[in-house]
Amino acid sequence: MIVCVAVVGHQNNPLYIQSFTDADDALKLHHIVHCSLDVVDERVNNPKKSGPTLNETFLGLLYPTENYKVYGYLTNTKVKFILVTTDLDVKDADVRNFFRRFHAGYVDAISNPFHEPGKKITSKTFAEKVSTIVKSFGFSSTG
Amino acid sequence: MEEYPEEMRSPPVSLVSVVGCSELHSFISTHLHSLDPPINTLALPDLSKVSLLLPPPKPNPADFSAAAAPPPAGILKRDWLLKHRTKVPAVVAALISSDRVSGDPAQWLELCSEIDNLKGLIRGRSIKLVVVVVNSHSTEEISEDQMVAVRKRAEVDAKYLLTFYTGEDSQLKQSLHRLGTVFAELAGMYYRDEGRRIKLRIERKSSGPTDLNIRYSFKVAVYAEFRRDWVEALRFYEDAYHMLREVIPGVSTRLSAIQRLVEIKTVAEQLHFKISTLLLHGGKIMEAVIWFRQHNASYRKLKGSPEAIFLHWEWMSRQFLVFAELLETSSAAIQSISHLTAGTADRPLTEWEFQPAHYYQLAAHYLKEKRSSLDFAVSMSEGDIDYSAESVAPSSHMGQFARLIEQGDAFVMQPLTDEEYMRYAISEGKRFQDSFEIIALLKKSCESYTNLKVRRMASFCGFQMAREYYAAGDFNNAKLLFDDIASLYRQEGWVTLLWEVLGYLREGSRKHSKVKEFIEYSFEMAALPISADTGIQSFRFEESGPAGPATLQQRETIHKEVFGLVSEKLGLASTENGDDVKVSSTNPLHLEIDLVSPLRLVLLASVAFHEQIIKPGSSTLVTLSLLSQLPLNFEIDQLEVQFNQSHCNFVIMDAQKPLVASSTDGQSGHRRETAPSLRLSTNKWLRLTYDIKSDQSGKLECISIIAKMGPHFTICCRAESPASMDDLPLWKFEDRVVTYPTKDPALAFFGQRAIQVEEPDPEVDLTLGASGPALIGESFIVPVTVTSKGHEVNSGELKINLVDVRGGGLFSPRDAELSADSHHVELLGISGSEGEDESQLDTDEIKKIQKSFGLVSVPNLKSGDSWSCKLEIKWYRPKPVMLYVSLGYSPDNNGSNTQKVNVHKSLQIEGKNAISISHRLMLPFRRYPLLLSRTKSVPDSDQSVSMPLNETSVLIVSATNCSEVPLQLLSLSIERDNDDTERSCSLHGGEDLLNPALLVPGEKFKKVYTVTSEMNSSKLILGNVCLRWRRNSGTREQAGSAAPVMTNHKLPDVNLESSPLVVSLECPPYAILGDPFTYFVKIQNQTELLQEAKIFLADAQSFVISGSHSDTVYILPKSEHIISYKLVPLSSGEQQLPRFTLTAVRYSTGFQPSIAASTIFVFPSQPHFKMVAVGDDRKESVVAE
Repeated sequence: MIVCVAVVGHQNNPLYIQSFTDADDALKLHHIVHCSLDVVDERVNNPKKSGPTLNETFLGLLYPTENYKVYGYLTNTKVKFILVTTDLDVKDADVRNFFRRFHAGYVDAISNPFHEPGKKITSKTFAEKVSTIVKSFGFSSTG
Repeated sequence: MEEYPEEMRSPPVSLVSVVGCSELHSFISTHLHSLDPPINTLALPDLSKVSLLLPPPKPNPADFSAAAAPPPAGILKRDWLLKHRTKVPAVVAALISSDRVSGDPAQWLELCSEIDNLKGLIRGRSIKLVVVVVNSHSTEEISEDQMVAVRKRAEVDAKYLLTFYTGEDSQLKQSLHRLGTVFAELAGMYYRDEGRRIKLRIERKSSGPTDLNIRYSFKVAVYAEFRRDWVEALRFYEDAYHMLREVIPGVSTRLSAIQRLVEIKTVAEQLHFKISTLLLHGGKIMEAVIWFRQHNASYRKLKGSPEAIFLHWEWMSRQFLVFAELLETSSAAIQSISHLTAGTADRPLTEWEFQPAHYYQLAAHYLKEKRSSLDFAVSMSEGDIDYSAESVAPSSHMGQFARLIEQGDAFVMQPLTDEEYMRYAISEGKRFQDSFEIIALLKKSCESYTNLKVRRMASFCGFQMAREYYAAGDFNNAKLLFDDIASLYRQEGWVTLLWEVLGYLREGSRKHSKVKEFIEYSFEMAALPISADTGIQSFRFEESGPAGPATLQQRETIHKEVFGLVSEKLGLASTENGDDVKVSSTNPLHLEIDLVSPLRLVLLASVAFHEQIIKPGSSTLVTLSLLSQLPLNFEIDQLEVQFNQSHCNFVIMDAQKPLVASSTDGQSGHRRETAPSLRLSTNKWLRLTYDIKSDQSGKLECISIIAKMGPHFTICCRAESPASMDDLPLWKFEDRVVTYPTKDPALAFFGQRAIQVEEPDPEVDLTLGASGPALIGESFIVPVTVTSKGHEVNSGELKINLVDVRGGGLFSPRDAELSADSHHVELLGISGSEGEDESQLDTDEIKKIQKSFGLVSVPNLKSGDSWSCKLEIKWYRPKPVMLYVSLGYSPDNNGSNTQKVNVHKSLQIEGKNAISISHRLMLPFRRYPLLLSRTKSVPDSDQSVSMPLNETSVLIVSATNCSEVPLQLLSLSIERDNDDTERSCSLHGGEDLLNPALLVPGEKFKKVYTVTSEMNSSKLILGNVCLRWRRNSGTREQAGSAAPVMTNHKLPDVNLESSPLVVSLECPPYAILGDPFTYFVKIQNQTELLQEAKIFLADAQSFVISGSHSDTVYILPKSEHIISYKLVPLSSGEQQLPRFTLTAVRYSTGFQPSIAASTIFVFPSQPHFKMVAVGDDRKESVVAE
């Protein structure tokens, strides 16, 4: 299950962060998302390590915490997407697929002429779209 | 890692025992220890005491049949490894002195019994025996027979019967070496045999109890380690580990499940530790990490019974800690981890999994879990009397505990029940301060992350650390960390995280009655961009810490609380000393908000002047704009605006609160303004516009705005220019309505908080009265006049600067190196106004004159007065120059603090050559000496002029006025340039000028000299032309006053040369039509040689010629040949004489006179001349008909 998704801007500031847990551990998830930015920096600054994943937007598993897995995605405009999931057995393909749909949703949201680049995303449509994608994540992995 | 016994932590080392000959033991043990691999030595001084070392053998366990064996009491025996490392030798070496071998039979018998005894002890075990005969005297050889006897007696191979020589160093060394080799070989053999033996048991008992199989696998692995066979060791450790996993499912059904699980985990921990160590030592970091991950995954869920869960967490924490320490020590050896590929495709490894910091952090995490579950367990067991905790001790099997019961002299181990064990574990757990341990772990992790420049992870660790400190009541440490973390979150705009950190800081300040900090943190929290619709869910109270949920409502609560405090309605309830701390007259509070302060969110002051430059005394408008992001509206009692010119400061009052205004009448003399309202609402600019006026020129800058809220609370806010104002931190990411600080958008973009106040306008005229270009050489006078037109001139100063128009200096750098006085243009002096004494000027007023700079003080002038001076400037080269004159004065007479007023004037002056001098050297008319140097002319040899020797030449010097003004020529003369060179010629010129000659622009003045060379020198030095002149300024008096200028012109030297032939043409000055005249050609031979010359005369149209046209003549040495022609002119006017050509054969050079020299004027009839005397010296010839 996806517990948290986030869009992080150029100054590593959160543009959109949403958690999907019943338990009130949103703050912990915020910490996890924030810490995962270190790995994104590391991967982006030392691309030779990632080797074959050069020029790829999907950054892969960023780091495993004890209960979560954190995945990252870097758009061509250097906006970061972070995904936190509790599924310990996740297929990369599913995550890629998720990020692709999420990216499309993000592009739609910021293409809004009333959206100012670099500011938080407050669009309700975007929030709805994200929750749809998040909900469908679990099913697509089984199916 | 330190809590493991030493034998677990280090790889095992082979153990051998040496018995007898104690004097050699230290040699041998040192040598064996220094081997690679080292061997430990167990030494016994006497062969007869060997039974101390080896107790009589137990009955071999292999004797029992598998079925008959009782089930093992535990998995691993606690002291088994220690025993094999320190007590059971692999090899026993009996050291026998050679004396005893070769000695008398009694000794021999004694020796035999000792050897038998030793053999008996070894029997049944596979310990190897070596017999070493120590021969201290190399000369005494032991006979072969004796050796064979010893060998037979001891039943050893010949290989293992050694002779040890102690006599010489080299022998000793050799013997030691031999001994070492044999020991290493036998030890290897022993451990291999033991391993094989146990392996056989495993195979035999594959269906037996798993506990035993685990134990055997462990033993095999240890023996393999003794042999340094790491691969096999690893394999058997892993076997043991996997077998242990199989035991686990059956645990819960057992009677003492808790203890059993503890035992299993302890064993698993040991096995895992061994495996990780071996992997890491083999440099297989990735395998080790993957192994650890599996270990973690398989045991993490194995929590056991709920009441003992803290034991699980403690165990987990220890796993992480130990692995972190292992990784740290081995990654120090393996420098770079970056080359490792990030795991396999299906199990990718991430960066931090190679970092010890990651494991330290998780160790801390589990320790925290342990603490909370322990706290729970302690609270549950409250009331129980831990009656027997002291007598519980670790039992003989690893991971097992038992109660020691004293029975007479002996202790008996009595197994514990789970309940008893739990009581013991809880009482043990209470003894430790977990919080310090957690902080230490987090600190390690934090430091490690910081070194890796992983700031956010480090901050997260720091945050957890700070929370521990906070919980432990160490607020100072917590504050240091929290502040550091808060700055990162502020920078990156993580508002929720910042909120949480600030919550801790705020509560900490409250607890420690730090009012100022409390108010600062409260303000910052209240102004954070958290609104109802940011989508952040409410947090549980425990999780969000003391900050409470990050909601708009909470912000408003904080806002109200802090304003209650500053308005002195509320006090700060401090828990530390019980009483409230208030902001009061004894405890006033002042906050500073600068450009980088996080409190800019609370109050932002922007100040914009409506103009950029104003005149002193005139007023302009200034707009103050205040912005606050606090969630609720609030009122400011009074605003004080501070400028760098303090007399401009003013105070703004709320018009609706007149009473407050009178009560704060502290600062007298300041302007007081009122505003309709000083109420600030969220994200809405409060704009106030006022007049401002300054009399002082320079920069007027608004420094700060001090807002007073409540009687004893002020916020000093640094003023910012709208043009250079940064976005509000944190709020800049919010999707909010952005408004401008001023209504005028232009001002919002370009407004500045500083304004330039100009100098007052000067009311003094400064005129430079020079006209026309300056002439080189003269001292050019520039009159400067200072006329006061309203201002008094006090302590005036005139600065004069000469600047090259084209840039660069007024002197060429090349010249500057040569001489100091080579300025092209120079300021010679400054003379005061007419009538003033020159010397007085020098002392008083001329302060400083340099070549291109001057400074003169101007006397005090009243309004309407004027003062003038003259600048003398001299040009040395033609160069345009800019003259800058600036006058600085103070219009008021009252001291030095008044401002200076400056007037600047500039004038470009051209420097020009006044006179150009040229000269010409001529030979007498119609006389042509043959100059050989001219005939063989080289193209560029005409640099110096040649002149025939002993001839009189004519020198014409002409001076042209090339300026634009008439000049007076005072004299022209030729002077020798230096005294030491004699003039080699005599110059005879016309008489000197009696009166100055006036030269209008463009006019030429000529003077003619005859030059005769006097000496037989080859060079004629003519000297310098000296021309004295001055500017003709119309009136006589002025002309006399101006100093004459001397212009020099160097005449080039002339080469002298004797001419072999001189040709002169002679004919009358004019001819008359039809009248015959004679035309002589005289050829003078000046040499000692006979000269042959060919002459040729061309026909001329206008003349009839008599005489030979062409001829060859021979001229005798030093004689003259004259050829004469008779000519009759046929037409009148300027007529060309017949062209005469001479060719000197000896010099093969030809000669033809110039056309000008061979013309003659033919009058139609005889002319009549009349001489007329003219007034001045000039003679004129008038031609009359």
